[in-house]
Amino acid sequence: MKLVRKDLIPNGPGSAKMIPEEPDDLWHVYNLVSQGDRVMAVTVRKVQREMVSGGRDVERVKLKLEIEVEAVDYDNVGSVLRVRGKNILENEHVKIGAFHTLEIEQHRPFVLRKDVWDSVALDVLKQACDPAASADLAVVLMQEGLAHIFLVGKSVTTTRSRIEASIPRKHGAAIAGYEKALNKFFESVLQAVLKNIDFKVVRCAVIASPGFTKDQFHSFMLLEAERRELRSIIENKSRILLAHSTSGYKHSLKEVLDAPNVMALIKDTKASQEVQVLKDFFDMLSNDPARACYGPKHVEVAHERLAVQTLLITDDLFRNSDIPTRQKYVNLIDSVKETGGTAHIFSTMHISGEQLAQLSGVAAILRFPLPDLEDMEM
Amino acid sequence: MPRKVNYRIDYAEDYDYHDDYDYDHDLESNGEAPKEDQSVSKPGYWRCAICTYDNDNDDNLTSCDICGAVRIAPVGNSFEVKAVDDICKDPGVSVLAKSLFASLPRGKPKMAITMQRQGKFSDFQNAFNIPDSRQHINIAPFKFDRASPDDMVSAGKKSYGKDIKAKVPQFPPSKTSPVIAEKGKMKAVSNAKKYEASSSTSNKVGRLNSNDRSPISGSGVVEEDKIQATTSDFLNLKLKPSIYNQKNDVNGRKTASFDEYKPEPWMLPDQKEQTLPLLNLAIVGHVDSGKSTLSGRLLHLLGRISPKEMHKYEKESKQMGKGSFAYAWALDESSEERERGITMTVAIAHFETKKYHVVVLDSPGHKDFVPNMISGATQADAAILVVDAALGSFEAGMDGYGGGGQTKEHAQLVRSFGVDQIIVAVNKMDAVHYSEERFNFIRVRLGSFLRTCGFKESSIVWIPLSAMENQNLITTASELRLLTWYKGSNLLEAIDSFLPPVRETSKPLRMPICDVMKSLLSLGQIAVSGKLEAGAIRNGSKVLVMPYGHIATVKCIVRDSRACSIARAGDNVDVGLQGIDASIVMAKGVLCHPEYPVAVAASLELKVLILDITMPILVGSQVEFHVHHAKEAARVVKILSLIDPKTGKVSKKAPRCLTARQSAMIEVNLERAVCIEEFSKYRALGRVYLRANGKTIAVGVVTRIIHQ
Repeated sequence: MKLVRKDLIPNGPGSAKMIPEEPDDLWHVYNLVSQGDRVMAVTVRKVQREMVSGGRDVERVKLKLEIEVEAVDYDNVGSVLRVRGKNILENEHVKIGAFHTLEIEQHRPFVLRKDVWDSVALDVLKQACDPAASADLAVVLMQEGLAHIFLVGKSVTTTRSRIEASIPRKHGAAIAGYEKALNKFFESVLQAVLKNIDFKVVRCAVIASPGFTKDQFHSFMLLEAERRELRSIIENKSRILLAHSTSGYKHSLKEVLDAPNVMALIKDTKASQEVQVLKDFFDMLSNDPARACYGPKHVEVAHERLAVQTLLITDDLFRNSDIPTRQKYVNLIDSVKETGGTAHIFSTMHISGEQLAQLSGVAAILRFPLPDLEDMEM
Repeated sequence: MPRKVNYRIDYAEDYDYHDDYDYDHDLESNGEAPKEDQSVSKPGYWRCAICTYDNDNDDNLTSCDICGAVRIAPVGNSFEVKAVDDICKDPGVSVLAKSLFASLPRGKPKMAITMQRQGKFSDFQNAFNIPDSRQHINIAPFKFDRASPDDMVSAGKKSYGKDIKAKVPQFPPSKTSPVIAEKGKMKAVSNAKKYEASSSTSNKVGRLNSNDRSPISGSGVVEEDKIQATTSDFLNLKLKPSIYNQKNDVNGRKTASFDEYKPEPWMLPDQKEQTLPLLNLAIVGHVDSGKSTLSGRLLHLLGRISPKEMHKYEKESKQMGKGSFAYAWALDESSEERERGITMTVAIAHFETKKYHVVVLDSPGHKDFVPNMISGATQADAAILVVDAALGSFEAGMDGYGGGGQTKEHAQLVRSFGVDQIIVAVNKMDAVHYSEERFNFIRVRLGSFLRTCGFKESSIVWIPLSAMENQNLITTASELRLLTWYKGSNLLEAIDSFLPPVRETSKPLRMPICDVMKSLLSLGQIAVSGKLEAGAIRNGSKVLVMPYGHIATVKCIVRDSRACSIARAGDNVDVGLQGIDASIVMAKGVLCHPEYPVAVAASLELKVLILDITMPILVGSQVEFHVHHAKEAARVVKILSLIDPKTGKVSKKAPRCLTARQSAMIEVNLERAVCIEEFSKYRALGRVYLRANGKTIAVGVVTRIIHQ
């Protein structure tokens, strides 16, 4: 994201003008814009005009509107953010108080005004404008008869394609049917790969599966690429990695991001950090359950006793909640950081964040055991 | 111990899976009487009524080995002993006997009633001491209830009947009356059938009574077996409706229609048919323990692989530098499997023993292919657990890296498939020079683990063998080093010693689709394969193909590449379908009776047993959910309660997480709906397996389908 102009006081009011450049940026904007903020952008609106003759004419007019946000919608696939609210900028076509929905897309500048830029918001802004190259990773996660293609961005994982085929079991004389079905399945996966993975954007592509499916598919892909002269694959042969996973379902993605050879490629990215931290949390939970806790109440109590070493929290909690709740979590993060702990804000668009969201969205690894926490009725 | 008695009755009704696991508890509970059913049909032992000694069931042995008491009808007498047991808690009962009694998973109190009466009856008969077994047959129309016209056939026996009837109130466990009421209903089903069944029952009794005298005993093992199978089917037939009846109180809405289901006569097994009963035998074990080689060798020895084919396999495997894989190639057919030398998907093969038509399910042992093993081998009735005796290999199978080898995982899975009889084949004995110490070491090590899985000592058979050197497979071993210390049966005999599985013939059709085949010459455009879990089909039957709910017609049925006209519960068949689009028949669907469709749901309540896991299960844990041949991604949405495995009571509500070896009630949501049934209705469709990170983390049953 490009930050054009910034005019704000930390923990005070201010505005920022920015231009989203990648699909990931829209996710950041989604996390940034909350209810009550004001967003100004150029938009197109249908306007009715009365003609002199008394007839009516409908015309699409390009105009600049500023609205007070009431709701925000994020479209992962289309990479569009829809911001709905009441107009507050006087205009010859649109009255003050009229409803309008702004669409924020890539390469369209907009201005965001907030009454309070809290630390989390500033963090998001900083992260979004970090010029470090995006760590886009394409993952083909498969098992016999099922394949998923994911694009793992900085903070968003998108499911681009799901391929399902029924592969018959080996069956006496019908063994040919098995191989034929498998080849057909590989062919459809290959087509999906060609369609969805752009090697100009992604850093590398990982093929992961249990057993030998990945090797089979890899050799099939290279063979077909030679045969059909698929340049994009031949040229990027070295950027295709193989990794082990235990299934072809989405939740196995974390095993892929965990694999040492993949980890080496994406170690500086948020996705891999999140996976690591969540793994630490689960390890702690199984080895020393008294030193890990989850759920807002438990974490709060643990924090009161200054026990929180690492705080795990999903961005979901900031986005969907009202201002006091948001304030509460912001304060939690701030005070954890003050007391020497670390806080990780998980993107719910990643697999690890999804899992954390299932655990109420907030969890913590503790400095010292709090065994009585479990017995607390809350 | 009245409390326990109650518990047993309530609990065993809808969830005896748990009991299976709970070994200790079973020993003491009161519902053991039905287990006599097994002690009768198991040829190994009969138990003396006086001294409770378990005698070998030699045909000519008519008195107890120890005290010399005359052997009377085994059915009745062991029940009597049981009663004594319960009152005085006789500590002298042998461990073996206890485990025998404890071993029946199908234990239902109502069965006890039926058996009791049967026992009484035979006692009665015995007292009269009728010498000619023909007479027994005449007495045969002994009915569990007395109103059928069949009974009148032999009017002279009425007095017996009265006697029997009079005895009913002597055994009044709480559930007697509904059972009797139900019986009246069921009687209409097929009188002829009943007649046969009951006559065969008494045939059996007669045979057991007067061992050598009965002319029927000459007709061979096969026949006897059939009779047993029929009898147990018959008992089932009677028992089921009463189960549903009770269910109705709890969950009346759904099951009501099941009460109305009447199987048509052709659907029930006909004992006149001269076919062997079917046994689905899963071959499981750690990777490289020699499962495929063992199966291949068996097939070869039993003449299912022609010398020409065998020669071909030998030649080809040598060419690839894998000479020792020749037998495995009979089952590992795909090029990928042969190249790598490991089985990847479950292979099916057929062979026949004296007693059974065996369907071999040769499963993959590699840990990555456990999902394939689950979807392929859930149909198993019995299993052979193959263990590699070689130093280090057995240990790898037990402990592996990361806490669990596949020997352990497979044993647990197979147990949760509902298999309670298992042969442990200690393979590659040649690698340890047929050492008895090694065999005993493995036996002790693995035996204690198998017991914790819920296998009973008495239903585990241990056989040392070598598949490569053909020791102890279908003939007694020729190797002297083995002969010096091993006197037991060979593998084939052990397979024959399995008890015939109980089939759900009287329930509406259910056939989970294991595999879909397209455009096969013999089967037409679209065909499915799988095992019928309940009900029956024949050519021309209409079936409902779930989950999409389209009707198709059965065009042909093929079993072991031979066409047959009828397939019944338990049969593993390929079914050619007509009048349905190929794209809507899926490998995780179910063929059902058109009027009794299977439930399709995505939200379920499960009762699970957590296996040895390192990562606790939390709300939100993501798992792979396996049920019959379907697998789906799922999420734990609620942990309802922890359950005390001993009492079955809730020990803690809403725990934060589940750790190893706990039992719990949980709720899961599946990503997509699957065809599923409550365990109490259809066992095979209600057993589930949860996996995560390449390990099986929990096994369980569906207790409730939460509709959305």
